[in-house]
Amino acid sequence: MSFLEKHQRNVDLTAFDGKIPVHYRYTLGLAGDKFFTAIKKDGKFVGTHCEECDVIYSPPSVYCERCFASLEDSWVELPSTGTVVAFTVVTEDDQGKELDCPQVIAAIQLDGADNTFVHRICDCCIEDLAIGAHVQAVFKPKKERKGTLDDIEYFEIAAE
Amino acid sequence: MSYRKVACVGAGITKFVRRAKETGRELAWEAAKMALDNAGMTLADIDCVVIGTAPDAFDGVHMKGEYLADGSGGFCKPVMRHFVGGGTGVFAPIHGWQHIASGKFETCLVVTEEKMSSCFPAPAGAFITIFDHTTEQPLGPTLIWIFALEMNRYMQRYGLTEADIAKVSVQNKLNAIDHPAAQLGAKITVKDVLESEVLAWPVKRLDISPASDGAAAIVLTSEHKARRITDKPVWVSGVGWALDTAYWATRDLYYPQYVEKAARMAYDMAGIREPNKEIHIAEPYDPFDYKMLHHMEGLLLCKRGEAAKLVADGVTARNGRLPCCPSGGALGVGNPIAATGLMKIIELFLQLRGEAGKRQVPGDPRIGVAQAWGDLMQVGTVVVMSR
Repeated sequence: MSFLEKHQRNVDLTAFDGKIPVHYRYTLGLAGDKFFTAIKKDGKFVGTHCEECDVIYSPPSVYCERCFASLEDSWVELPSTGTVVAFTVVTEDDQGKELDCPQVIAAIQLDGADNTFVHRICDCCIEDLAIGAHVQAVFKPKKERKGTLDDIEYFEIAAE
Repeated sequence: MSYRKVACVGAGITKFVRRAKETGRELAWEAAKMALDNAGMTLADIDCVVIGTAPDAFDGVHMKGEYLADGSGGFCKPVMRHFVGGGTGVFAPIHGWQHIASGKFETCLVVTEEKMSSCFPAPAGAFITIFDHTTEQPLGPTLIWIFALEMNRYMQRYGLTEADIAKVSVQNKLNAIDHPAAQLGAKITVKDVLESEVLAWPVKRLDISPASDGAAAIVLTSEHKARRITDKPVWVSGVGWALDTAYWATRDLYYPQYVEKAARMAYDMAGIREPNKEIHIAEPYDPFDYKMLHHMEGLLLCKRGEAAKLVADGVTARNGRLPCCPSGGALGVGNPIAATGLMKIIELFLQLRGEAGKRQVPGDPRIGVAQAWGDLMQVGTVVVMSR
């Protein structure tokens, strides 16, 4: 029936609104705690190193997903620079509404790391942005940092 | 029907806690690594991975199976996640059994996880939408409504009192004192249970298992692999699962038909004709004290309405004729849903190998049954294990 009739109002369908009332409190976890503490306190990236597989994880993991070794005592420091593996320019939000300012999002592999993570790129860099571009993290001022992903303001083209 | 024999050769379990610092992935890895170490195996020895985890809404991660996959050893391996609500943990070894019994794989790492503390302040909010949005949600139901109606009906049908049922909580929390992973092991009295806060009469605070974070894992293998790994394999000798009507209030509230159907399927496969005589040790699902009694009856371990008397007479105690929940159960060890069911399987594994330490039941047990209950409270999952 719904295919044949055109309903202009929800009430024509004898419908009503509902919601799933849930709220979450996530923990950073063992690895996340060290990663975000290093960003907050020192403005630095850290990672974990699996010697067996010769893989560096940053963002880190306390285990190696390949061989399952514990990496709880295998911490390394990484520079705050990395390479753009892919990027996009986002123009609509998740509800299909046009953004006031397009957002540049990239998959970034930190120098020395084997995994990749996603973060913002400063929109001032859009002209020079390309896959393979070398970028560096811009952290918020120390007193504004809270130990979350937003402590990284964005990445911008590295000054070289 | 011919299946290949399937053995359990290793087990691991994290401590069950109210709020874990670890992420769900980290919990899964801890349990999975422990299970591999226990079996003397490495991830390279594993052919496939099975993940059991209950509602995504607990951890607050949609597609939770995929999220947990790397911590469960799923990197570049065949991975499947299953979900039958509270029945998930005892379905986990069934799912793993299917992979090996079929002949497709030789080894399977089975991992279960739940991080209920993410859902803050309480997981209850996640459950409103399991009720029918048109005929039930407008009443504002909570899960405890289901259990209160069942418990009341069960007491009325067999002339039981709240004190008769409270004895289960007393027994299981006492047993849990000896479980290293336990969250709520304690010496309590029937009076403590009766005087605890009423949530929805007749259900009181101490009738209920806690919300928990935790993970558990086992390693399953084919027979010839098992013979090379250990001289003490524990066989998955019977599996069964069944659903009752999807309309929870229509169900027989005092008798779990879904458990009986699943149990008969498992017993038939295991060649068990008289479960009340042939089963040496049982781990019925006990998220509520009355529920252990319900499930003992559904598992055909006693006559209908008789379970409370067995508890009162000490028959179900660790040194009784038919120990029930010697682990301490969900009431004592804790209830990180999917991990709870597998905790029960692990208890059978340890008891049948004679490795349960302080919890070891006397009499050299050879056959055990574990069971869980879930979905919209109408699924029964049953596993018989033997050595």
